[in-house]
Amino acid sequence: MATDAAVAADPPASKGCPAMKAEFAKHAEYLNALNDKRERLVKASRDITMNSKKVIFQVHRISKVNKEEVLSKAENDLAAVVNQNIGKLVKELQGTDFWKLRRAYTFGVQEYVEAATLCRFCRTGTLLSLVEINDSLLALSDKSVEPLQLNVLDYVLGVADLSGELMRLAIGRISDGEVEYAKKICAFVRDIYRELTLVVPLMDDNSEMKKKMEVMLQSVVKIENACFNVHVRGSEYIPLLGSSADPDYSFFGASDFDQ
Amino acid sequence: MRPAAVAATATATAAALRLRTAGASLSAPPAALLTPRRAALLLLPLRRLCSPALPHASAAPDSQPPPRLPSPIMDAQFESFRAQLDESSTLRDRIRAVVSEVESASRVATAALLLVHQPVPLEDVLGKAKAQVEVIKGLYAQLAEVLKECPGQYYRYHGDWKAETQAVVSMLAFMHWLETGGLLMHAEAQEKLGLSSGEFSLDVEDYLTGLCFMSNEFVRSSTHQTKYSSYDFILCK
Repeated sequence: MATDAAVAADPPASKGCPAMKAEFAKHAEYLNALNDKRERLVKASRDITMNSKKVIFQVHRISKVNKEEVLSKAENDLAAVVNQNIGKLVKELQGTDFWKLRRAYTFGVQEYVEAATLCRFCRTGTLLSLVEINDSLLALSDKSVEPLQLNVLDYVLGVADLSGELMRLAIGRISDGEVEYAKKICAFVRDIYRELTLVVPLMDDNSEMKKKMEVMLQSVVKIENACFNVHVRGSEYIPLLGSSADPDYSFFGASDFDQ
Repeated sequence: MRPAAVAATATATAAALRLRTAGASLSAPPAALLTPRRAALLLLPLRRLCSPALPHASAAPDSQPPPRLPSPIMDAQFESFRAQLDESSTLRDRIRAVVSEVESASRVATAALLLVHQPVPLEDVLGKAKAQVEVIKGLYAQLAEVLKECPGQYYRYHGDWKAETQAVVSMLAFMHWLETGGLLMHAEAQEKLGLSSGEFSLDVEDYLTGLCFMSNEFVRSSTHQTKYSSYDFILCK
C-alpha cells in the first residue's frame, strides 16, 4: 500500500526541519533582491521616459528661425539623459538581467530611442541606427561592468513611436509654411513604414508592435493628406505664407472663384 | 482635361517647372491666381512625379534638413534586423518542438502518479513515472544544447518552457514525497533534470510555482486515503 513508505520514512517535512527553513529563507532573500532590483529599474525607466519626452517637446518648438539653438539644446538634454538616467540602468543590469528584467526598462529605452532618432532626423534627415546608439552607450560603462546594449526589439518599438512625433512635426511645419520639409518628412516616414512591415511579423511577441503599425499607418496617411491639401489648395496661398518675411494679408477674405 | 494632362507628361513637365517657380515666387497678383491654380490641378499627378527631381525648385528657407540621402543605409540596417529576427524565430520553433515533447512526457508521468489514489503498489506507480523522468531529462539536455547557440538569452525564450517546467517540477516533487516523505529541494530538482551545471538551469520561481501546484495533489490524496482509512498517511503530510 502506498502508506507504508510514507510512514516508514520519518517525514522530516512535518517537523519543519531547519534545512527546509534555511532553504526557503534563501529563496525569500533571492526573490526580495529580484523585486528590489526590478523596482529600481522601473524608477530609472520612468526618469528616462520623462526626460526623453522633454527632449521631444523641445524639438517640436523648432521653426525656421531658431533651428540651431533648439536642436543644440535638445542634443544637450539628450546627452544628460544618457549620462544620468541610462547610467543608472547600466549599474543595475548585469548578465541575464538584460532579458529577464526587460519588461521593467523597455518603455524608458523605447522613449529614449524615439527622442534620439527625432533629434538626428531634424539635424541630418537620416535615421539614427541601432549600431550608432549602442556605440554611444559603450562610453557609459567601464571595463568591469557589462555595457548596456539595446536590442533590436526595443529599437524597432522606439522607431515605431517616432512616426507619431514626425507626424506632429510635419503638421507643425506645414502650418508654418515649410511645405518642402513636410514632404521630406512624408517620404521618410513612408520609408520607415515600408521597412517595418517586413520586420514586424518576425518579432517575438508582436501584438504591441502590430498596434503601433496601425497607428503608424494613420500617421503616414495624415501627413500625406496634409501635404496633399496644401498642394491642391495652397498653391495660391504659398506666396503669402512663409516664403516672404512680411506676409501679405490683403487676400484674406477674398472669395475663392475664378475671375 | 485629365487624360490630356496625363498624355502630355513630357511636354508638360517643363511647363510644371515654370509654373511651379511662378507659383512660389513672391506677390502674384490676384488675377494671375487663375492660371497657377488651374495648372496646379492639371499638373497634380505630374507634380508627384516631378517633385523628387525638384528639391530646390521652391524658394526654400534655411531651416530645412539637407537633402535626404537615398536609403541604402536604412535598408541595410533593416535587412540585418530581418536576418537576426529570422534566426531567433527559427530558434524559437526548435525550442517549441522540444518543449511539446517535454509536455507529453510529463503528462504521462503525472497520469502514472495519479494511480496512487487507487490501491496500486507504490513501486509500480513510481516505476512508470521514473521512466518518464529519464525521458524528460534527455529533452532538457536537448533544450540546453539549442540554447547554447545564443548565450545569455535564457530569459528571452523562457516563456516558452515556463509552464511545462512548472508542471514537471510539480510532478517531481510529488514523486519525491511519495518516495521519501520529504520536500524536494531546488538543488535536488535541478539534479533530477540534469540541469545542475551550465547556463541552462532551473529558475527558482518556476521551482517554487511547481511546488505550489504539487500541493493540489495532497488534497485529493487526503480524501482518498480517508476512504481507505489510512489516517497515518494523512497526518504525516
